[in-house]
Amino acid sequence: MSDSTESKSTDINKDSGEKRVGVFVCECGVNIGGVVNTKAVAEYIGTLPGVKVTSVNKFTCSDSGQADIQNKIKEHNLNRVVVAACSPKTHEPTFRACIEQMGLNQYFLEFVNIRDHCSWIHMWEKEKATEKAKDLIRMGVERAKLLEPLQASEVPVTDKALVVGAGVAGMQAALDLADMGFQVYLVEKEPSIGGRMARFDKVFPTNDCSICILGPKMVEVARNKNIKIMSYSEVKAVDGYVGNFNVKVEHKPRYLDVTKCTGCAKCSEVCPVEVPYDFNEGFGTRKAIYVPFPQAVPLRAVLDKENCISCKACAKACQSGAINYDMQPGFTDLNVGVIIGAVGFKTYDPEPRHDFGYGLYDNVITAMEFERLLNAAGPTGGHVVRPSDCKEPIRVGFVNCVGSRDKATNIYCSGVCCMYTIKNAQLLKEKRPETDHTIMYMDIRTPFRGYEESYNRSRNLGVKFLRGRPSEVKEDPVTKNIKVRVEDTLANEIRNLEFDLLVLATGIVPHEGINQIQQLLKLSKAADGLLMEAHPKLRPVDTTIDGVFLAGVASGPKDIPYAVSQGSACASRATILLKNKKAITEGITAVVNPDVCAGCGVCLPMCPFQAIKMDETPYLNTGIKKANVVKALCKGCGTCVTACPTGALEQSHFKNEQVLAQVKNVFKFQEVVA
Amino acid sequence: MSQDSQTIKTAHQIVMQKGEMYVGWSTKEDVRKRGGSGGLVTSMLAAALEKKLVDAVVVLKKMNEFEAVPIITSDVNEVLNSAGSLHSVPSNFAKLIANRNLKVALPAKGCDVRGIIEQGKRNAINLDNTFIVGLNCGGSMHPVVTREMLEVMYKIKPEDVHGEEIEKGKLIFETKDGKEHAITIDELEEKGYGRRESCRYCTIKIPNNADIACGNWGVTGDLAGKATFVEITSEKGAKLLQNAIDAGYIQVQKPDEKGVAARSKIKGVMEGLGKKWKDKVFVPMDNRLEYFRKELENCIDCGACKAVCPTCSCGDVSKCTEFHFRGDAYRMSMYHLVRFLHLADSCIGCGQCADVCPVDIPLTRLYRRFANPVQEQLKYEPGMDMRKPPFFEAKLEV
Amino acid sequence: MSSEAAAAPKTNGWEPKIVAFCCNWCSYGGADSAGMGRFQQPASARIIRVMCSGRIDPLHVFNAFLEGADAVLVTGCHIGDCHYVNGNDKTKIKYKFLENVVRELGLEKERLQLNWISASEGEKFANFIRDVTEQIKKIGPSPLKPEGVV
Ligand SMILES: Cc1cc2nc3c(=O)[nH]c(=O)nc-3n(C[C@H](O)[C@H](O)[C@H](O)COP(=O)(O)OP(=O)(O)OC[C@H]3O[C@@H](n4cnc5c(N)ncnc54)[C@H](O)[C@@H]3O)c2cc1C
Ligand SMILES: Cc1cc2nc3c(=O)[nH]c(=O)nc-3n(C[C@H](O)[C@H](O)[C@H](O)COP(=O)(O)OP(=O)(O)OC[C@H]3O[C@@H](n4cnc5c(N)ncnc54)[C@H](O)[C@@H]3O)c2cc1C
Ligand code: SF4
Ligand code: SF4
Ligand code: SF4
Ligand code: SF4
Ligand code: SF4
Ligand code: FES
Repeated sequence: MSDSTESKSTDINKDSGEKRVGVFVCECGVNIGGVVNTKAVAEYIGTLPGVKVTSVNKFTCSDSGQADIQNKIKEHNLNRVVVAACSPKTHEPTFRACIEQMGLNQYFLEFVNIRDHCSWIHMWEKEKATEKAKDLIRMGVERAKLLEPLQASEVPVTDKALVVGAGVAGMQAALDLADMGFQVYLVEKEPSIGGRMARFDKVFPTNDCSICILGPKMVEVARNKNIKIMSYSEVKAVDGYVGNFNVKVEHKPRYLDVTKCTGCAKCSEVCPVEVPYDFNEGFGTRKAIYVPFPQAVPLRAVLDKENCISCKACAKACQSGAINYDMQPGFTDLNVGVIIGAVGFKTYDPEPRHDFGYGLYDNVITAMEFERLLNAAGPTGGHVVRPSDCKEPIRVGFVNCVGSRDKATNIYCSGVCCMYTIKNAQLLKEKRPETDHTIMYMDIRTPFRGYEESYNRSRNLGVKFLRGRPSEVKEDPVTKNIKVRVEDTLANEIRNLEFDLLVLATGIVPHEGINQIQQLLKLSKAADGLLMEAHPKLRPVDTTIDGVFLAGVASGPKDIPYAVSQGSACASRATILLKNKKAITEGITAVVNPDVCAGCGVCLPMCPFQAIKMDETPYLNTGIKKANVVKALCKGCGTCVTACPTGALEQSHFKNEQVLAQVKNVFKFQEVVA
Repeated sequence: MSQDSQTIKTAHQIVMQKGEMYVGWSTKEDVRKRGGSGGLVTSMLAAALEKKLVDAVVVLKKMNEFEAVPIITSDVNEVLNSAGSLHSVPSNFAKLIANRNLKVALPAKGCDVRGIIEQGKRNAINLDNTFIVGLNCGGSMHPVVTREMLEVMYKIKPEDVHGEEIEKGKLIFETKDGKEHAITIDELEEKGYGRRESCRYCTIKIPNNADIACGNWGVTGDLAGKATFVEITSEKGAKLLQNAIDAGYIQVQKPDEKGVAARSKIKGVMEGLGKKWKDKVFVPMDNRLEYFRKELENCIDCGACKAVCPTCSCGDVSKCTEFHFRGDAYRMSMYHLVRFLHLADSCIGCGQCADVCPVDIPLTRLYRRFANPVQEQLKYEPGMDMRKPPFFEAKLEV
Repeated sequence: MSSEAAAAPKTNGWEPKIVAFCCNWCSYGGADSAGMGRFQQPASARIIRVMCSGRIDPLHVFNAFLEGADAVLVTGCHIGDCHYVNGNDKTKIKYKFLENVVRELGLEKERLQLNWISASEGEKFANFIRDVTEQIKKIGPSPLKPEGVV
């Protein structure tokens, strides 16, 4: 079953019997040449068996330096090249391309670091540095002789995409891909798409009406013929690899036929059951059968079986006869080439720790709750009232960084709380100018366009900013007002303040579903518990799994514009694969030698990418089922190789004998000891 | 007694269950006589074969008092003829049945059982198809040592030995002339004879890791020496015993309380003794490097110690052998270093390696030097349950 | 742990040979950063690059000692940062075994060390090499070093 990644030595690899090594020592200007005696090094290396030519260049990476390599390959018929210069982490690709142009397999290059690891760190020990450079290059030469040709393999890519999570980030990714002509499956676990943004009243920094800008986008998603929305659905299994993921999606039963339901909500009118509505952060209620919110997409009802008392009133009320109490979950199997994860976040829950009295005092609420109160479509029709007596508060306090930038909870900054607090204070102040707002903060962070302006606007409106974190929050047992003791660290004085309502700017934290998604997609998590990108700077929406991308808050706190950009970025990254219809997978992989493998299976749990499988049938006449590496899944870490007791597993380019060649050549016999 | 799905009903309405204990014997006269203590084990194995519970059985085929070869057989008569305990045959059956895909039943001392379970973890033995009849084991002796001991300590010719038994701490040999010769085991071991060193510090005296644990401890009164005490330790074990009863091969009765108490007391005493031996053998040492170097100096790289090791599932090619070159002339053997590490969690202390070494390197003692601290620290006992060897764990608090 | 050794060109005396295994993504990068930051260190270490610390095979470590290493260093990304999700969790386990064998063998604890070093921790890398070198200088050449090997 093994595909032939490590091709036999073909002519292009120039891997004929004799190993002919060329060694190119770089001076890197004076960076290396100023410390290491490169001439002496080259002279010594020239005496090693197999070394046909050595060369010293001022800058090996320059055009002339590379030309020197290429000329010498031709002149001396070299089939292995050792470059002793700076770091392979930056320059290996350059020299690989350089030798590949000459028809050598790119893996015939060995890169030795005599700058960062030698001349730069032994600046005053020139002799020792020179000796060390000799050792390092000798190690490289011996390893080079054992290098084997490798070829990255190609796998076909199914030109369909799966987007998990239909918040603003996931929707954007789906739309962009669909507009480029690719079929997209958009899986959303809630009954409606839209995510967090659908719950806000207005969004910073411009304070546009959130649903007014999001609603049309949701409709656009629904109308796009290349997008198949799978709402109230969850991904249950993911198998396969880049280009060829097999995904099982479960459709939770809505207990009604979505093709018949018109979303008229007659059913909820008659339903006798009322339960707190989580969409409104628990404020207000909904029925056991309900339409999520007026702009929901798809605009369909959903029956919550847990709370339904089976009175059948809704079935009678429904004119289209949509309701079906016996509905079972449905499943769809998808085959897609790429997966975009945009599963969002939840807000920090201050209840268990009773941060700032939350959960103890009625009039301490979270910002998310405040957002719903502000919302005209929210539980109070847009009137901000306080929970204890439903009166409209005059004095409102805001505490920033709740569950963020705090050793006791989360040390990271959630990025959006300063801005949404500024927004929320502004919105209420504009609605009811008589109100009085105090924002208690540690630092105000307003980095992007229009943000600082929004901050200034709040100040101009009279919102007070107090630098300090409340040290004590108490409730007045009679008035239920909230009394706060806080040190104003700018004025250097303790202030005792009284508020009608205290709003906590709770931070961004991973939701409960993140582990499942992490495991399904085989991703890693960052220190904040959210999913991790391949590189924080240069590959911010890629992951370590080929063909899997991340957008939105799922990979770290961010605001809407940033989340949307990431959605587009994912679409663009994914398109490279979808359009080319092929993916290049790692050339360095683990390989099993079935003649040696004992079938013990200990390698399987070593692989974080589940790239190793046991064969279904015994190998030849051995009666033993052998291990097999799925090349497209293997990332070439080599961890399994370390565990394999027989040595049947080898990591190409880091084979045991290749590593040992280096180990052995750290040392040498010294004939005469002075 | 609750009759849940795990119990096995029979025509006689006897219901064998995991956790129960019995005393039993073979219904076949000759097997009973030949048997170590009542021939129950032999009969149980034969019944399993006859009633097609298994396709094959492993037994020892006796050559003489000190020599026997293990055979895999499907012949019921061959099984019936194999009865008897051989204390000077320190074999290990784990590798014998590895990679053969057998439905098999076999007798197994504690270290056999542990080896079988370790092979099971490495996909070489399908434990669901393996019925393990555990034998209590106070220890076995190396045949060569036994012969020498007979001449030096007992002053009898090995050829004259007719039978052998252990009673009240004494090792008793019966000669063909019908005489008994007894010396205490303590005295024998004091002089370097008696049980193999690894058996002395072994603490698995009743193999509860098998499917059923059999032995003579706990058999009291008239039955002493004529019956076997069994403890059912798994569903498979219950099936084995029930099958033998149903087939009419054996009879059982409930043990008396005295017997049960005596058995557990003896077990405790033996385990305590084992621990004492362990402290005696593994004294802290200075200059260990020199010690290991000296001990391994004579190794001729024959590879026998790897080949016999019942926990190793590698074939001929393995990491320990492939990167070891005699020409390297290192100050320590690369082969053994890799094995010290690979066996640190998995060595069951069976003594096979030391037994087989042609240049008499006390290998088990060396290997246990590394295994003891690792297994203690990781609280890992190889071969006792299905826990994965820690070396192959993806995450572990270490 | 003085970071001032930079200016002291003490060239006389014996220089130990230390084999340092580094993972491509973190500790090798840490060694690069040490260079970029010009954090001076004794010329004792020889770095061998593998993709992940999970590839650091006890086999290679033993071989390094038998060839003559005065110390062997196992290094990788901080736990949680491994480029391959959790390769270093497995390194931790393998190291535990290695440590036990090497100690039981009678080698001093300084001769085998584990350290997690990120690609940005150049100074930490340099300090590590300096510390280990100092320790090894105190205890001398490895008793496993074959005669005549440098
Ligand atoms: C109180 C508050 C106020 C804010 N105000 C603003 C503001 O004014 N302006 C601004 O720019 N930003 C604001 N933000 C930030 C903004 O909420 C986020 O940037 C934005 O919602 C991120 O969108 P997203 O698509 O990444 O995540 P989400 O909006 O959370 O969407 C994720 C979607 O994925 C779904 N999902 C989760 N798990 C699964 C699964 N396993 N399977 C299928 N679907 C799944 C969820 O149901 C959800 O629909 C605010 C944040 C908070 C907390
Ligand atoms: C080395 C050894 C030490 C023992 N020590 C004790 C003890 O200290 N306390 C105790 O209660 N019981 C001990 N026993 C068990 C006891 O001697 C009987 O074997 C047991 O009671 C079963 O008796 P039986 O008549 O039913 O077995 P039998 O019907 O005689 O069957 C015995 C079976 O064991 C197999 N066998 C014989 N010798 C060996 C061997 N060396 N290795 C593996 N299989 C073998 C035979 O092939 C046969 O299949 C020991 C057994 C052995 C082999
Ligand atoms: S189920 Fe019927 S009543 Fe309810 S929203 Fe749909 S169409 Fe209207
Ligand atoms: S090299 Fe790494 S990624 Fe590849 S199979 Fe082995 S453990 Fe998995
Ligand atoms: S660990 Fe090695 S011998 Fe065991 S199954 Fe995997 S490849 Fe085969
Ligand atoms: S190393 Fe020796 S004592 Fe340990 S399990 Fe293997 S053969 Fe038995
Ligand atoms: S059995 Fe003895 S001689 Fe043979 S390899 Fe093992 S230790 Fe060396
Ligand atoms: S990549 Fe550095 S430890 Fe795995």
